[in-house]
Amino acid sequence: MGLQMLMNATLLGGLYALMGIGFSLQWGISGIINLSYGAMVVLGSYISLEFFNFFHIDPFISMIMSGAILFVIGAIIYRGLLQPFLKGGIVFTLILTFAVRLIVENIILKVWSADYRTIRLAYAGSNFQLGDVYIPLTKFLTFITAGILIYLTYLFMMNTKIGKGIQAVALDKEGAQAVGMDVEKMYMINFALGTALAGLTGSLWASIYSFSPHLLGPLVGKVFIIAILGGLGNIWGAAAGGLLLGFAETAGASFLGSQWQEAIGMVIMVSVLLWRPYGLMGKKFFG
Amino acid sequence: MSNNKKVNIFLLIIAVVLFIFLPRFLSGYMVRVITTIFMYAVIAQGMNIMSGYMGYLPFGNAMFFGIGAYVTAIGMSKGLPFLVVVPLAAITAILFSILLGLPVLRLRGHYFAIATIGMSAAILSVVKNATEITGGAMGTTLPIIDKDPSIVYNYFYLAMFGLMVITTLSLYFIIKSRFGFGIRSIKANEEAAISMGINTTYHKVVAWAISALFTSIAGALYAYWMSFIAPDEVFDVMIAVNTVVIMLIGGAGSILGPIIGAFIIELFAEVAWSAFLEYHLAALGIIIIIIVFFVPKGVSGTIADFIKRKKIRARKRVSI
Amino acid sequence: MGGNNTILKIMNLSKHFGALKAVDEVSFEVKKGEIIGLIGPNGAGKTTLTNLATGAYSKTDGKVIFKDLDISNLKPYQIARMGLTRTFQVVKPLIGMTVEENVLVGSLYGRDKRNTDMKNASKRAKEIIKLVGLESKKDFLVSDITLPDLKKMEFARVLAMEPEVVFLDEVMAGLNPTEVTEASILVKKIRLEKDLTIVYIEHIMKAVMGISDRIVVLHHGRKIVEGTPQEVVNDPAVVEAYLGKRYAKGIKEANNEG
Repeated sequence: MGLQMLMNATLLGGLYALMGIGFSLQWGISGIINLSYGAMVVLGSYISLEFFNFFHIDPFISMIMSGAILFVIGAIIYRGLLQPFLKGGIVFTLILTFAVRLIVENIILKVWSADYRTIRLAYAGSNFQLGDVYIPLTKFLTFITAGILIYLTYLFMMNTKIGKGIQAVALDKEGAQAVGMDVEKMYMINFALGTALAGLTGSLWASIYSFSPHLLGPLVGKVFIIAILGGLGNIWGAAAGGLLLGFAETAGASFLGSQWQEAIGMVIMVSVLLWRPYGLMGKKFFG
Repeated sequence: MSNNKKVNIFLLIIAVVLFIFLPRFLSGYMVRVITTIFMYAVIAQGMNIMSGYMGYLPFGNAMFFGIGAYVTAIGMSKGLPFLVVVPLAAITAILFSILLGLPVLRLRGHYFAIATIGMSAAILSVVKNATEITGGAMGTTLPIIDKDPSIVYNYFYLAMFGLMVITTLSLYFIIKSRFGFGIRSIKANEEAAISMGINTTYHKVVAWAISALFTSIAGALYAYWMSFIAPDEVFDVMIAVNTVVIMLIGGAGSILGPIIGAFIIELFAEVAWSAFLEYHLAALGIIIIIIVFFVPKGVSGTIADFIKRKKIRARKRVSI
Repeated sequence: MGGNNTILKIMNLSKHFGALKAVDEVSFEVKKGEIIGLIGPNGAGKTTLTNLATGAYSKTDGKVIFKDLDISNLKPYQIARMGLTRTFQVVKPLIGMTVEENVLVGSLYGRDKRNTDMKNASKRAKEIIKLVGLESKKDFLVSDITLPDLKKMEFARVLAMEPEVVFLDEVMAGLNPTEVTEASILVKKIRLEKDLTIVYIEHIMKAVMGISDRIVVLHHGRKIVEGTPQEVVNDPAVVEAYLGKRYAKGIKEANNEG
């Protein structure tokens, strides 16, 4: 792999890492495979698009709004839709989150049409050079921002009362209940945090790539792979999984052709599932 | 045989006869809609044996539909007759289910469901990229039957109906058999099942092979019926999603549930399409949510609960 | 020991989970028709040993000889079909099925090949249900019956498999004294009727005293004593394992004085 390719893979993987963490937390801790996750990411992109078009706000700033709006949406979806059916098992949560996806997809199609949209930043064309390697400025900024957001998520989980509560619930639900913790609230916050991360990813995505409703399905495919690679509910695992997928896709596209990109990811995911069902770095958290 | 059972069988035979003659009274459009319903009922039975009875959700089961459709398309393009191609399609799907099932069926719950999605996506990519064999992402055509379209549609109506009846009867006998108790035990408690002498691996693989058989034949018929197939359509995750919804509303783990569910959902979807053309996705999403909220056990489960409650009440009255 | 009437031989059996030696070189023999009590404090390795013998865990080392065959590499279902079965410490009913269906599954997949036929198996299941006294509950869903009935159901399910050796893993756990007495009587009665060999796992010593021919005591994964109930109850190592060193010393002193 050339150095340029390595750099491209890393920059892509950073964004994937951020995207995968939210999904992994929702699955690993709240126990929900969120098929609407791709829709939440893309919704984040459109929110940034609107802020850019109407108020000329840069996606790197409007991502805060995306995150906040999607946090609220996530909390509502969890409380209103998912929580009553958690005991019903995987069939219910899969189907309900898919229903959410359909509704969001329809809204996106109605409001923004099926066309690809882009946010044209004034500094989109600038890049800098590191030895022989070119680094586009926007991609560099998304990578750094993603890294910071991942670290903030980690700090939140480790150092805040709520974060610690979420971890306690993930490790031992009955125990947490026994000491009087509001378990459902922890699950809800965790789920909402996951959708917020999806929204943040969407805003960052919008600053470098174009987006459309067509992304909804493929993005869910990607977060599946990332979460499985990293081990469910594991922040650093998902981050590593994101980077790994970035490398696999970049390498796969250049050696086999981009049409194999999706298949490569899926084959890696199934192999990891069979070889190490709890992820490459994961320990058994849930399942 | 009890009287009750006799009445049931009699009713079923009448229903079968009615459905055979139904197309004479329907428009060509409705005949096609009902053929689709039969098809979904078959796929839902394939989901039912795995998920409803055995507790393993094969979310990527559309792969067998796609495999059935593509083996049919490829075989017929080589000049083989349909009746030769169908068994080939079924055998191919069964082989896939066994080869993939042996490793993947060790996984439980979420992991199994996700692994099957991954496999389905991987096979879809292969089909899209093996352009010389499959025609690639643009799809491929099958020979068109050289007869009046309405006659052709009647053929497929009857074929799909027959497939649904055979599938449902087979499932009925499977569930009543020793094997059926085996897979139900796996759903109930896999650890207990294996300690009770049940070779769980064997049962799981065979159940998935049966599921693949049902689903692939539906795919084969679909391909010949449409005379054009494209990879994104026959490997679509939506097929699995629809099927799960159908199974849920009909009642997972009941024999007639998937048929009832297929009628409700597909007729609803038709209405949604025509009434809310621009909002049909959202309409479908909302319908799913309503179904899950109000009939979580499915129509047949809800009726069964109702009967049970009535019986208990009756028993209480007697004891008082 | 040994000879022809030995039906089950545990030989240097070990199971390690990382550094933890859950079962450590345990050996003992079970003769046909015996009731062996397998006791030890919580965490002594009793359930692990059961899991090893019935194939639920793979061993780290050693052998399990059942009817002269090493079964320690076989799968649980194979072992079960050969006639070595178990109940679970925490009952594992087949949820969603009736009591009769639960027992039916046992007979369908059990040792007697004639019962692979639905009619025979069904007949067998009905007989067994009658034998354990669950007839009035046979059409109840297992989710609708009480714990003592669940335990009976699980015992019936095991019996329907026509086993030769049964590991009963803390069948008395969660039962009140009256129910314990009832269950003991039932087990004794059925053992005679069915010519069963039973390995009776308990952590309450008292529960096995009256029923066992011999007792094996495990502690920290090792066998510390084996003998008749009388021998075991007076063994200082057993008292120590159960009650701690200080208490054991006290008893010794009391015995010396008395």
